[in-house]
Amino acid sequence: MKNIIIGLIAFLLINACQKNGPEIVVYTSVDQVFSEPILKDFEKESGIKVKAVYDTEETKSTGVLNRLIAEQNHPQADVFWSGDPIRTVVLKQKGLTRPYFSPKAKTIPEIFKDPDGHWTGFSARARVLIYNKKNFKNLPVPQSIFDLTQAIYKGKFGIANPLFGTTTFHMAALFSVLGDQKAKALLQAFKQNQVVIAASNGDIKKRVLNGALACGLTDTDDAFEAQKESNAIGLVFLDQKGNPPLGTLIMPNTVCLIKNSPQPKNGQKLIDYLLRKSTEKKLAESCAQMPLHKDVTIPKKIPSLDAIVPMSINYIQVALKLKTIQKYLKKWIEN
Amino acid sequence: MDRKLKLSQWIGFIILAFLILVPVLYSLGGALFCNNHLSENLKSFDSNTIKLLLNSILLAISVAFLSSFAGSILGFLLYKTDFAYRQFFKIIFLIPLFISPYIWAVAWKDFFFTLTGPTPEMQSYGDLILVQTLIYTPLAMLITGSAFAHINASLEEAGLMVFPIKKVFFKIILPLIKPALLAAFTLIFIFSISEFSVPAFYGLKVFTTEIFTQFSAFYNYNLAILQSTILVLICLLLILSEQKYLSQAPFLSVSNRGNQIKLYALKTYRFSAYAFLIFWLTISILIPFGSLTIEAFQDGYQTIFKAFELLKSTIAESFILAVTGSLISIFTGVLFAYLSWSKRTDRTSSISKLIHWTLLITFAIPSLIFGISLIKFYNRSGLYFIYGSALIIIIGYMGKYGFIAYKMIENAIRQLPYELDEVAQTEGLPRFKRLQKIIIPLITPAIFGAFILNFMLMFGDLGTSIIIYPPGTQLMPVKVFTLMANAPQSLTAALTFIVFCVTLCIISLFYIIFKKFLKPTYDCR
Repeated sequence: MKNIIIGLIAFLLINACQKNGPEIVVYTSVDQVFSEPILKDFEKESGIKVKAVYDTEETKSTGVLNRLIAEQNHPQADVFWSGDPIRTVVLKQKGLTRPYFSPKAKTIPEIFKDPDGHWTGFSARARVLIYNKKNFKNLPVPQSIFDLTQAIYKGKFGIANPLFGTTTFHMAALFSVLGDQKAKALLQAFKQNQVVIAASNGDIKKRVLNGALACGLTDTDDAFEAQKESNAIGLVFLDQKGNPPLGTLIMPNTVCLIKNSPQPKNGQKLIDYLLRKSTEKKLAESCAQMPLHKDVTIPKKIPSLDAIVPMSINYIQVALKLKTIQKYLKKWIEN
Repeated sequence: MDRKLKLSQWIGFIILAFLILVPVLYSLGGALFCNNHLSENLKSFDSNTIKLLLNSILLAISVAFLSSFAGSILGFLLYKTDFAYRQFFKIIFLIPLFISPYIWAVAWKDFFFTLTGPTPEMQSYGDLILVQTLIYTPLAMLITGSAFAHINASLEEAGLMVFPIKKVFFKIILPLIKPALLAAFTLIFIFSISEFSVPAFYGLKVFTTEIFTQFSAFYNYNLAILQSTILVLICLLLILSEQKYLSQAPFLSVSNRGNQIKLYALKTYRFSAYAFLIFWLTISILIPFGSLTIEAFQDGYQTIFKAFELLKSTIAESFILAVTGSLISIFTGVLFAYLSWSKRTDRTSSISKLIHWTLLITFAIPSLIFGISLIKFYNRSGLYFIYGSALIIIIGYMGKYGFIAYKMIENAIRQLPYELDEVAQTEGLPRFKRLQKIIIPLITPAIFGAFILNFMLMFGDLGTSIIIYPPGTQLMPVKVFTLMANAPQSLTAALTFIVFCVTLCIISLFYIIFKKFLKPTYDCR
């Protein structure tokens, strides 16, 4: 048995020490089913081997972010590709990113880029309300987030745990736009209206799909996946009307270069690749993400960003806001 | 004992401690001494935290008690009676251990939804106890079953000559499997109290969800590590009490005829036994696994093929790593359990105790914290050959599951009479020859059981692997988990189905190998 163990360990070591040609290490919190094909395409085109670490929102995107923080003294990753801006802003605040102004990002609107070049946004998702048409035969479909406080929706709607994932970002954005008092009142009204707090956005999707919930807040990629699974699912971009309208939260993917990373040049190449129009097109086709470049051809079912009234936020300020409301959110869940 | 042997034991312990314990102590030291937030973090241990902790302890006790009870009934029926198709049921009942608890929780929720509709939902503490009990009962079955298989047949036969079977069961069999029962209770308690995914999925608040929140939402690593330390202390206390209790109990049960298992005829109890097995099969496997299978095949075979296509690249790597991890655990377990057992004949016990506590601490600490501790410790120049390679996963596996192998093997060795070793020693047989020629053949089933259990846990490990797996490595449970986030329900079910089939094939293969190549050697003795 001793010899078998030594043989296996030697095999693993030899395997690990093999290094063939240029490579890049990327950590991503974008679901593997969508990010892997993009990274494979980059590998084919550039000849640079991509070594990826994937994460998912189901683990609250904890894995890669905590890993990046834990590795800060000796970074292994060259690039972090995040599904939202919050995590890259956290990394920037912790001093773990380095600036890179990609030439491919010139046509991306300034609001989606860090002024210091620490992160750049591309392909966005939006926070939407998905609903099961079967549950809405005798009910009006909510058009505003404030509608969910009405008694007719009591116990029928849900949100994912607001301490994690994109729901955190949504809450921080609401606090940032509405102000603390109004946002707290909204959440209190949600509680009184018996909002269901689900484990994740995926859980919201599932509960709406099977009719356990009439509607719920989630991201566009989950919403479009739900629509693929059932014709009974509808989606609404909330708060498109009003004076002025509150708007829908737009959440771009973000990408950043890790400070002191082993292969920064290759990292820059990957960032350039991700910020291309062709990548945005692929993400629009695979997971209904909305391109930030103006002239990208996308499937008809994908709404253009121009057709949506966005929530007027500053991504950096929202990330900072998050820090101040987390304790409140934890209490809100627990009580 | 010669100095050379003692020295090599200390070297063995130092290597083990360096690999798995030092990273945890390094993190803990950082949390306790290297910052100014300790007093602030200690303040957060208010009455709510204590309430949460008590809640988790109660839940874990309930799960451990129910699982041990049901598991020992299954163990008795499948290892000590003439029940037909015993081998088949032994493998089938292990299924809940093949699949991540999280997926099992999803399957149960789906089933209840189909059964009862939107309300009531599965999200009470009772539901959590039910699901965890069903998941961990096979663990108790495996541990107690292995102990039942080790009982000295002559003791039972002698008892049966004088007393009725009921009395023999309570007066002879039950006391002899007491170490196994307590080991099962302890292991399941530790598994249950450190489990995060199931309570989080049901939206229930337990101590581990609090740790996770501090870690992931607040990035308060120090508080999360301090809270984890409390979990570890509770587990240590439990193990200490278990050991104190066991130290006063006699465990001699295997003699020269110990390898012949006495099987009881079920006779009039046959119907009740069948009824219980079918009931357990239905609630623990057919219902949840049936829900998953129906979902997986709802679009025909297409989804299954797609799932296999997605997972095929991960199977070989996951297999090699899990086999390597299991073999190392078994090797360490046999070696140190033997040294611990032979403490009556020499003074090696201090090292063995250290090894025991080392393995226990890393087992009891939540996976997330253990993973981060490994990263913080190994991610440095000089140790990158470990961190950047699959060795980090082996170390992770060893830390998380080495204790189980050690415990199962120690439990089996404890039941051997010391005279066996003493006589061989008097005859001048060196220590490792005694281990190889006498002890190992007598505990082969326990070693095999420990190997199977370790393999299954390592092959399906998610908690530690997802944090530490090296870039570019493809592990099956990690890939399933990252894929299922956005996959349609049918694909998620199909992925789980593939995991199940692959695991079942491998386990069956191991059983065949055991029966063909290992069992004859063991039986001939």
